[in-house]
Amino acid sequence: MTTPMPMPTDSISSSHTIAVLGNPNVGKTTLFNRIAGIRAKTSNFPGTTQEARIARVKLKAGGQTIESLLIDLPGIYSLNLDLSESKVCVDVLDGTAAPAGEEANIPDVLLVVIDATNLMRNLTIVGETLGRRLPTVVAVNMVDVARRRSIHVDQAKLSECLGCPVVMCSARSGEGVDELAAKLCQAKVPTRSAPTDIDGIERWAQDIYEVVSASPNPIKEDTLTDRLDRAFTHPILGVLSFAAIMTALFWMIFKLAAYPMDWIDLWFGSVGGYVGSHIPPGPIHDLMVDGVIAGVGGTVIFLPQICLLFFLLALLEGTGYLARAAFVIDRALRPFGMSGHAFVPLLSSHACAIPGIMAARAIPDRRDRLATILVAPFMSCTARIPVYILLTSILFPDRPLYQAYAFTMCYAIGILAGLFTSLLFRRTILRGKSRPMALELPSYRIPDLKSALLLTLDRGMIFLKKAGTMILAISIVLWWLNAYPKAGPTDEAIALRTQAESFVEIDQTQADELYAKADSLDTRNAAANSMLGKLGTTFQPIFAPLGYDRQLTVGVLASFAAREVFVSTMAVQVAGSDDVDDDSVLESIANATNDDGSRIFTYGTSWSLLFFYVLASLCLPTLVVTAKEAGGWKWAFLQLGWMSTLAYVSALAAYQFILAAGGS
Amino acid sequence: MMTTTDSKIESKAVPLTQLVRGQTGRIECTQAHPDDCSMLRAMGLHPNASVQMCRLGEPCIISLSGACRIGLAKDIASRVMVHIDE
Repeated sequence: MTTPMPMPTDSISSSHTIAVLGNPNVGKTTLFNRIAGIRAKTSNFPGTTQEARIARVKLKAGGQTIESLLIDLPGIYSLNLDLSESKVCVDVLDGTAAPAGEEANIPDVLLVVIDATNLMRNLTIVGETLGRRLPTVVAVNMVDVARRRSIHVDQAKLSECLGCPVVMCSARSGEGVDELAAKLCQAKVPTRSAPTDIDGIERWAQDIYEVVSASPNPIKEDTLTDRLDRAFTHPILGVLSFAAIMTALFWMIFKLAAYPMDWIDLWFGSVGGYVGSHIPPGPIHDLMVDGVIAGVGGTVIFLPQICLLFFLLALLEGTGYLARAAFVIDRALRPFGMSGHAFVPLLSSHACAIPGIMAARAIPDRRDRLATILVAPFMSCTARIPVYILLTSILFPDRPLYQAYAFTMCYAIGILAGLFTSLLFRRTILRGKSRPMALELPSYRIPDLKSALLLTLDRGMIFLKKAGTMILAISIVLWWLNAYPKAGPTDEAIALRTQAESFVEIDQTQADELYAKADSLDTRNAAANSMLGKLGTTFQPIFAPLGYDRQLTVGVLASFAAREVFVSTMAVQVAGSDDVDDDSVLESIANATNDDGSRIFTYGTSWSLLFFYVLASLCLPTLVVTAKEAGGWKWAFLQLGWMSTLAYVSALAAYQFILAAGGS
Repeated sequence: MMTTTDSKIESKAVPLTQLVRGQTGRIECTQAHPDDCSMLRAMGLHPNASVQMCRLGEPCIISLSGACRIGLAKDIASRVMVHIDE
């Protein structure tokens, strides 16, 4: 009995490496997960946009135990294609690249995973790897599916033709996985090789296929797949089913995530309360409660939505539907210069632009990819939601239907702005026709729950890591800018407190009100005199044509780090508290007044802000990821400049139009 | 890029988009951008590969030797030349 045993990632130091490679859609990652289990993690290849899953495993066979680093390379059709994923695989096989944190060495064993139901094409990549003269094992996956389709593969003959061990397995059921682990322990350099030219390899694959494979002839027509394909890619039915599936997806994300989001909110609230009551008032108290806990809590609250998005997308991808949806979207996006490959990146961007931009790696054409990266932040991410909620409730108090319309309109404006941007860039700096789509349509199947859960766990951890590092740092800097320099009590506040003292024994309620008013005045004064407040005063003239006063300017400036801080920044400024979950605080933001007594959130400024927040690039981490993924800071600055211009002009137009029409 | 297996067959070759649903053929060559040609070839659309038309239109869906399905934008499908089976 042989058992692949996952082991703690840091417990061993081993240089024995097994590289797993194969075509896309052959169940390579499912097989990797079956061997590696929960210990696997995602790692980047430094200097590239490619990533691999890696795991340290202990393979046992008979009396022998090998501790290995298992690397799940990106799925490729050939090592010789001019694509970044093919180049990464070649570099790993050459020993010149390794996942971040690992030493680059030529792999000790190659595990080539091939699909039993599509043997001939899969043999091409086996032929390419045999030429490497490295110990090789070939895993023929999906034998259970092949059996159902009456496709027979002769294991012994195939092993003889390839000159290396061949294992028949099913990653889904676990069949053959123990035997595979044993073969990996004893892998040797193949005794045979394949031709090196493409024509020769194709002939070689065809010859081997004819020797080892037997399938019913003619192959039975797959009528169910045909019907589903025709429905899902139909010009009308395809769009309707796409709309229905996406509506269900988003409904689940927003509906189901609401509960864990409430729990996280409550948890951070109680942690803040606990820490606040155990640390004496002072700078450390403020830093911990207002900076660290509020900042990280405000970000981690989106974790359930992000996990749900990745989980549901992984399930949907597992069904085989996403490849069909890409063609439906391709028809809609092509006139605007994007391809159907942009579908998953743009969909993910509705949760957060960062995973969306990262998903754009899969787009083969460089210009298509750049256009998608530049457009992704226009999609309304979850961080915009608190701002949308605040502004729509100010614009339409007690009219939920109108609020819903305005909410939907925000999403539509973001999408339209994205399409317009793509059209503009593809006609100017990214001139050229979008590459036509050619995509393998995987078989429809029941998605693998374990793989989806492992991916979700991995993505969730990456997000938490980000919240614990970059966002924590931003929160601390913002808190510091907002808290310093400390201002003393104002004369007006001192007078109010003196007045309150005289009321203490006569009317406690009145005294409390006076104290609260004095505290509010001091908070407002401190905010005005803090570094962030002074920045607001300096930059206010720029935002004055949009109808923003100093406090709104501070809110907008603070949002450049991360847009969700707008609501809490406004709360801190106008109410002297950042407890924005309290309805009365939201009301006090809505009714907040200027230094001259006029309302901050008028009809005009609210619409202007809504346009501004839909279109502006208010997210520092997104810019960092854009620079990394697009290959330079010039793209991040272009994104920032273009989005800021579009946001400013639209907000200006909205405000001035409302003023001209007689609104306030 | 253009790959040719036999000049006699090439004279009868027609664009893949001319196959009707259910009709089969053998790929002759692909007349597209070199990167697209390499990609299609690696995906299994190599000269002499057997194809069956599953869905015409945008996208065009073909079955490769009954083993896998490939979706192709009409633009690229019209550049794949096939010899229709009798």
